[in-house]
Amino acid sequence: MRKRLVASPTMQRWLLLIILGLALVLELSVSRPLWPVLAQETAAGPAERGGSLEGRLLDPQGEPIHGADVAALADGGDEPLVHAESQNDGSYLLDLPPGEFDSLIIEISRPHFYPTELHLEDSTVAQITAGEAARLPDLELTRRLTPGFWVATLSFVLVLVLIALERLHKTTAALLGVALVLGFSFVGGAINPDFFIFDFERALEYVDFDVIFLVMGMMIVIAVIEETGIFQWLAYQAYRLSRGKVWLLVTILMIITSVASALLDNVTTMLLMAPITIQIALTLGINPLSVLIPEVLASNVGGISTLIGTPTNILIGSYAGLGFNDFLINLTPGVVLALVALILFVLLHYRKTYAAAGKGLSDAMRERLRESGRITQPEKLRKAGLIFVVMLVFFIIGDTIHLVPAVTALLGAVAMLLWVSTDIEEMLKVVDWTTLMFFIALFISVGALQEVGLISFIAAGIGSLVGGNLTVAILVLVWSAALLSGVIDNIPFAATMLPVVGFLTRTVPGAESHVLWYGLSIGAAMGGNSTLIGSSPNLVTAGISERAGFRISYLEFLKVGLPATVITVVIGTIWLFIRF
Amino acid sequence: MKKILCATRGGEASHRTQDAVLAMAKEQGASVLFLYVVDVEFLKLTARAVRPDVVATELEHMGEFLLAMACERASAQGVEAEPYILHGPMAEALVSAAVEKEVDAIAFGRPAGPESAFSLPDLERLSARIEETTGIKTYIV
Repeated sequence: MRKRLVASPTMQRWLLLIILGLALVLELSVSRPLWPVLAQETAAGPAERGGSLEGRLLDPQGEPIHGADVAALADGGDEPLVHAESQNDGSYLLDLPPGEFDSLIIEISRPHFYPTELHLEDSTVAQITAGEAARLPDLELTRRLTPGFWVATLSFVLVLVLIALERLHKTTAALLGVALVLGFSFVGGAINPDFFIFDFERALEYVDFDVIFLVMGMMIVIAVIEETGIFQWLAYQAYRLSRGKVWLLVTILMIITSVASALLDNVTTMLLMAPITIQIALTLGINPLSVLIPEVLASNVGGISTLIGTPTNILIGSYAGLGFNDFLINLTPGVVLALVALILFVLLHYRKTYAAAGKGLSDAMRERLRESGRITQPEKLRKAGLIFVVMLVFFIIGDTIHLVPAVTALLGAVAMLLWVSTDIEEMLKVVDWTTLMFFIALFISVGALQEVGLISFIAAGIGSLVGGNLTVAILVLVWSAALLSGVIDNIPFAATMLPVVGFLTRTVPGAESHVLWYGLSIGAAMGGNSTLIGSSPNLVTAGISERAGFRISYLEFLKVGLPATVITVVIGTIWLFIRF
Repeated sequence: MKKILCATRGGEASHRTQDAVLAMAKEQGASVLFLYVVDVEFLKLTARAVRPDVVATELEHMGEFLLAMACERASAQGVEAEPYILHGPMAEALVSAAVEKEVDAIAFGRPAGPESAFSLPDLERLSARIEETTGIKTYIV
């Protein structure tokens, strides 16, 4: 027979007392206001209680300075009375010991800034001596160009060059940048402190884990969806619906590619659409490039309309705190307008090619095409589709219930693992850890640039160029982003520009509407259309096309891509002026 | 019956090569083995989430389609042809196909402009290397 354990009344009282005692200790340890009250009652009295001094440190662009050493020295002494470190918001708090002070000096030091000394006014010193709290006005520190500045800057330039010239894999190049920055910080910094950039702990603080988890979650979700055959089926339906009308086929394919890129990922979309597009083009007797290039242009434009459509939007959304709906409301209408213009442009550009469609292929080949365009895993598609729809709902309502996109992506990924593709080993293989490492290394490299002040200099330069004029700021940002994205990888470019746009958003009147963030998104993504190397979808499409014996040359792409970029960026810019 | 191996894709340059090989096969009373090589090396160009296995499957479907086109072309010219698909780098795939299928000759298409995967000197070197490795006669047509 089981005996029920019953506490006696005495034991219950003791238990209650212990619980209450623990609760009191816990409360005292977490609740600051109780301590001063106790201190006043038990210590020698208010007059002998130490005063405190608080303030905030800012850089020349008004950005808070974190990690500065703030020390208080009294009466000309060399030994600091107390030290404090400035927090992420630039604030510091010095709790001074009790005592009579004739003078107080505050010394502030931080790598990459000139050391600063602040002589407190007599009234402030008296206030502190009396045990009161004093607050100093915000203090701006002056930047100092150290050897560390040049190490961080040159390392980043080296990374960009290595990526652009394809001398190293992107991730290897970015990791090399991190190794140089940290290597100089630790090894060089031991020899000459001016080589120090930041420590490892500080470097990791620059990594945006919202981005990492959002990208990782979406990788798993997309990996499940992409093996169902949905992309190929959609492309085949476009062929069927167009009934041999090439202009209609191209229009439908561009719309499908654009929507798929907005909801999933533009690289995946093009990788899976391109092979069947080539087969469709050959079936109709037209040059596959006249369909593939319009598709990839639409893919780059379509991705802009949602938070998850492009890596640049993921970076922007996380940094600026913009949600799924923000992109949907503020960018999608502009993207639709740009897409309409793009479709009209390509139909005009390729009109002769489309009109000269040759003899189609045999019935046997058409049957083969039908086979290529079927859904291969319908059950998996049903389940994955349902999860994805729920994810979209969560992305949309996420802003209201404070559900960040990274969590939605992770929930979706876990649902896929539990219900659709349960082999965890296989699913973890589909996560592209190389890409995630690229993002982590990139965040650290850009963090080093922020640490040494290069980003502040760029921000100040652009700030003075636009002179507080929002119209000029939009034009400069959108067009410089579009221009540079055509020649350098737009992901490192966007990552570098985030703090710059953050500064402009705070300082340019009217920019608090976030218009500049959307400008960066439009410029960086649409600019990728101008050259063959401007974006990843362009490169993978060229890779697929070459494997079918149709090479996309740099010049051939430029002839279509450059005017298409100008048209879409003009429309994107006009949309920003209309919307904001 | 003699068998000629011809690696092919789908562009205009490939059609010229196919026609030349088919003419050679007809002349020698040989059949043709059209080879398509699935190579996803280009995926290294992107640091984004891509599944090489899924892309390789799609390329294989595309290869089947392109080879079916080549076989239809052969049939129209009265030459017997069969498709063959391998995965991996081109040179290794050619050697592997030549040995496995016991072909009598290997034909390469002469580079014809920017669409070609190789320059003529590169192709001559590759042709010589494969001939040396397999002991099978190679032709640039």
